[in-house]
Amino acid sequence: MAYVRLENITKIFGSVTANDKITFEVEKGEIHALLGENGSGKSTLMNILSGIYAPNSGSIYIGGKEVAFASPKDSIDAGIGMVHQHFKLVDVFTARENIAAGKGSRGFWSSTAELNKRIADIAEKYGLAVELDKKIYDMSVSEKQTVEIMKVLCRGADILILDEPTAVLTPQEIQILFDILRNMKKAGCAVVIITHKLNEVMEISDRVTVLQKGKCIETLKTSETNPQQLTEMMVGKAVNLDIECVPMERGRKLLSLDKVCVKNKENRNALDEVSFDVFSGEILGIAGIAGSGQKELCEAIAGLEKVSEGDIIFKDESIVQLSPRDIIRRGITMSFVPEDRLGMGLVAGMDIVENVLLKAYQNMPGMFINRAEGRRIADDIIERFQIYTPSASHTVKKLSGGNIQKVLLGREINLNPELLITAYPVRGLDIGASYKIYDILNEQKQKGVGIIFVGEDLDVLLHLCDRLMVMHSGKIMDIVDPKSVTKEQVGMLMMGHKQ
Amino acid sequence: MKKKILAIIVAVLMMATLFAACNGSENSGELKPIAKEDMKIGFLYIGDIGDMGYSFAHDQGRLALEEAGYETVYVENVPESSDCASRIRDLIENDGCNVIYATSYGHWPYVVEVAKEYPDVYFGHATAGSEILAENLPNVTTYMGAVYESRYLAGIAAGLETKTNKIGYVAAMALPEVVRGCNAFTLGVRSVNPEATVEVIYINSWYDPTAESAAATTLMDNGCDIMAQHCDSTAPQTAAADRGLKSIGYNSPTASFNPTSYMTAPLFHWDVFYLNDVNSIVDGTWAPRNYWEGLDAGMVDLDECINMADSTKAAIEEARAKIVDGSLYIFSGEIKDNKGEVKVAAGEKMAAEDIWGMMWNVEGVIAG
Amino acid sequence: MIKIVKQNEVSKKQSILIMLGAIAIAFVISGIVIAAFGKNPFQVFAGMVQGALLKPYGIKQTLNKAIPLVVLSLGVSIAFKMKFWNIGAEGQFYFGAIGATFCVTYFPNLPAYILLPLMMVVAMLFAGIYALIPALLKVRFGASETLVTLMLNYIAVIFVDVLQSGVWKSADYMGRNHVAKYPENALLPKLFGVHIGWIFALILAVIVYILLKKTKLGYEISVLGENERTARYAGMNVTKIVILAAVLSGGICGIAGMLQATGYEGTMTDTMSGGFGFTAIITAWLANLSAPIIIVVSFLFAALLRGSEAIESSMKMSPAIAEIIQGIILFCVLGSHFFTNYKVIISKRVKTSAEKGAEKND
Repeated sequence: MAYVRLENITKIFGSVTANDKITFEVEKGEIHALLGENGSGKSTLMNILSGIYAPNSGSIYIGGKEVAFASPKDSIDAGIGMVHQHFKLVDVFTARENIAAGKGSRGFWSSTAELNKRIADIAEKYGLAVELDKKIYDMSVSEKQTVEIMKVLCRGADILILDEPTAVLTPQEIQILFDILRNMKKAGCAVVIITHKLNEVMEISDRVTVLQKGKCIETLKTSETNPQQLTEMMVGKAVNLDIECVPMERGRKLLSLDKVCVKNKENRNALDEVSFDVFSGEILGIAGIAGSGQKELCEAIAGLEKVSEGDIIFKDESIVQLSPRDIIRRGITMSFVPEDRLGMGLVAGMDIVENVLLKAYQNMPGMFINRAEGRRIADDIIERFQIYTPSASHTVKKLSGGNIQKVLLGREINLNPELLITAYPVRGLDIGASYKIYDILNEQKQKGVGIIFVGEDLDVLLHLCDRLMVMHSGKIMDIVDPKSVTKEQVGMLMMGHKQ
Repeated sequence: MKKKILAIIVAVLMMATLFAACNGSENSGELKPIAKEDMKIGFLYIGDIGDMGYSFAHDQGRLALEEAGYETVYVENVPESSDCASRIRDLIENDGCNVIYATSYGHWPYVVEVAKEYPDVYFGHATAGSEILAENLPNVTTYMGAVYESRYLAGIAAGLETKTNKIGYVAAMALPEVVRGCNAFTLGVRSVNPEATVEVIYINSWYDPTAESAAATTLMDNGCDIMAQHCDSTAPQTAAADRGLKSIGYNSPTASFNPTSYMTAPLFHWDVFYLNDVNSIVDGTWAPRNYWEGLDAGMVDLDECINMADSTKAAIEEARAKIVDGSLYIFSGEIKDNKGEVKVAAGEKMAAEDIWGMMWNVEGVIAG
Repeated sequence: MIKIVKQNEVSKKQSILIMLGAIAIAFVISGIVIAAFGKNPFQVFAGMVQGALLKPYGIKQTLNKAIPLVVLSLGVSIAFKMKFWNIGAEGQFYFGAIGATFCVTYFPNLPAYILLPLMMVVAMLFAGIYALIPALLKVRFGASETLVTLMLNYIAVIFVDVLQSGVWKSADYMGRNHVAKYPENALLPKLFGVHIGWIFALILAVIVYILLKKTKLGYEISVLGENERTARYAGMNVTKIVILAAVLSGGICGIAGMLQATGYEGTMTDTMSGGFGFTAIITAWLANLSAPIIIVVSFLFAALLRGSEAIESSMKMSPAIAEIIQGIILFCVLGSHFFTNYKVIISKRVKTSAEKGAEKND
């Protein structure tokens, strides 16, 4: 049996099966890539291996023995170390202090000398270079990652899981990381690397497992496959969905972006010279792996992100310098459903009326809030979008996911926008609720509204949209015609491969 | 919504009824003698009774009253703000006190305020004699020990025992009471050692062990080898003991805290006044007065003298006898202030009112 | 293994029950403490109730404490609604008192009907500006308002000290550092034996209620407190709202200082707050930041404070014991919030499938 074996793992969250009888193996001295789209179940699977979730069914074997993890600590004790995408380091501590804190020293007093020796040994063995006395907040992303890896190794991990480790690194830094991984492989560690980047899969991994929609598609030797085949496995076969793309004569040009750049916290371009147009009466789909710049794009148009270069023209007027409020007044609404669904756009602890007021109150006269008006709008939205709720004064967070999103979308549509930006409006919804939302979007399109639809599900994007724009690393790869493009072609674009 | 408005209305009504209930109960009447068993005496202390200083000394007086069969209550840590007035009203309204003694200087405006509201209650206020007398209230008396006499004696001890001729003095606030005491002390010092000076630091608090200790340390750093004090904690004495230097306490005997360095302390016997005062209430002879008695009445005293030469003890005893028999009047000329100006001409004696209100320092005082 | 899990929604009734249970437990524990000091707990509690609520004088005293407590709680509740942790009510209170004393010192001859409103406006202004400091530091530099407001409290008290020992020192106190007593025209009149600050407290409660529940600003404050991202997304000017709310919050705390100075103290002293600025944080929180409930909670808390004063002399109880009782009540009531939000689950070790299989075979 393989050194690490997950057998028939199933994990169900509510109505969603995140992992469906997945079997996955890693050998010692192997780098194993785990490949899949967002929501394919990679992170859930690795969280099960690191003891964060307990599976509903299935078994985990390490070194041939069955284990059960009640907490991450059990997993750590079994030699599993996970390097998360968001580093779990204490900013004001030095590297050494972070490593010492992570080590969970036996006994109350930690021995610095012993720790130093251990760090030196590991550094030499794997080629890690850490400045031990540097504070974390002074470090670059790559340095932080190295500290994180060192921390995990110091705890004695011989099974290392890296979640999207290259997402934030420069090409040079990626090469250094890969050297470290190769050294670990030589030293007999089992390494799992979660990624979407096909070229990296091809470069570093020995084997690759592809997940799609919670199922394990296949495990292949990297040397025996190619990017084309992997993409096909990742995106799956084209599914014929019964979503209508209402034919419409597209109208005037509403929005035009001209070489727009937005910087992220690390001062790199999160949006890199993005230029495109949106016309009234069309749905422009945006496809891309999460974090390719979709959020920054939406926020830049809505005035929430500072645009560092370029211009955004809405109906012949530049809106780059306008406040969010002025942009709303000009008829642009944006609804972004983040991963936690309630992070932006809604106030979870308030009722539907108060949430509806969020956009409406500014246009009310005087200094008082007209709640009766808010209630009227709320009742209206509830009826029009068939929101299932006991009353308009029901707290939003107590509603089901579909109804929450209908409140959000309903509120935006109720403002009669000319341009409707909606990101992941069907996130976490069941089929019925999703279709209701597609219908709403089509209805708006027929009224001549210009719609930007940021989606996850390629099948939906291909069916619903008039044009499909594919983003990768903050750049626009291409704008394609959904009627003629294949799913695989879009998948390759999402991975950054241009035909 | 409607419920909330209702709640507000209910709250308003509730308060209004309460207010209505509060009205009335104004006391009127005049002072009458009170039988011993009907008397209830309330004390207000600035600190807590465990301070081993000023409040402790007053509480010893209160305990003497209890011993003599009077009923007493007390409140500690009474601030010198309107809360003081509230606490006095408390003692009267809530505890049924008909005699009130407020012991801290800053309590006086509130004693005056409440005394006007309760003309049938007897009040006594310690230390703010002239302010209280100026109000001319029929039911407030003022009392104080002429502790400057004891300070003079303590000064003799310091003057004879110092080797550096520099004596440190940690003082609370620049008030006449404090200035007067410091002057008497300095006169005592210089009566036996004309070369010696007294260095003073004001800490702006009656009771602040941290500040007292810090001030003592500064003074000793400046070369003072004996510490005296006019503040309420034992911190200056302990600071001196830590350096192996001698000290003079205040208010109450604290030799047990620093047995090898404590020399003596000017003391109050508040019980002398309290017993005298309540007895006059019982027998109907009570009248507002400015009670300011010293060594001869037993109101003040000097603690037992230790850690000093026998000759020093003898010098103190000699001076004490002279003060008691009247042959030594401490503030008699010639006295210069510390700028060299003659304040009391040779052969003159300072009047009691002038002593009470003196705000200038005698020669030999170095005030920071 | 013990796990702490977020509680599902607790109904209003349940949370009130939990709160009452907590108070009951607090009294039981306090009773044990009192008994340990050799007093009869029933007598002590009865003495507290009697001293605070039954005698007319006691009620007056309770109200005298309730007035600043209500106003300060209203003040901090505005900031807290926005999750702007204004721990600086104490300092803003003192700056209100400074503002009031400023008017009295420099315009002592104005008639009361002009002077008193002027004092209130200036008190609000002074305290509002004082609260502006942490607000600006927060929006400009992201400085923690908790720390800044906390530290500004001490500066305010020292500022009062400087004034009363310096420019505003009165000659009436023989060298003692003290501000002069306010003249008659600068004192709040009394109604039903208590200074009319109580009317202002009730009016302020209504104003704060309307502000938070009915106005756009109040709505913006609530949204900002719940979710800053959403507030920005809705186009709210977050900087402006933070500054406005902080200044309002501080300004109302300043009114408390003014009321206390002109209604109760009759002057300004450096001990006049009696720590109410900190107590108000607790009362505002216990009242769930709701203006009507603040009135009730502040009154009850004032009764607790007053009751402990009453037993100090009548039961010869050290005030320290009274403070212990207050502490226990607070601890239990605040602690009970934990149980309205979380539940504790004691779970067994997770089993491997082999063990599960073995169980099935049993």
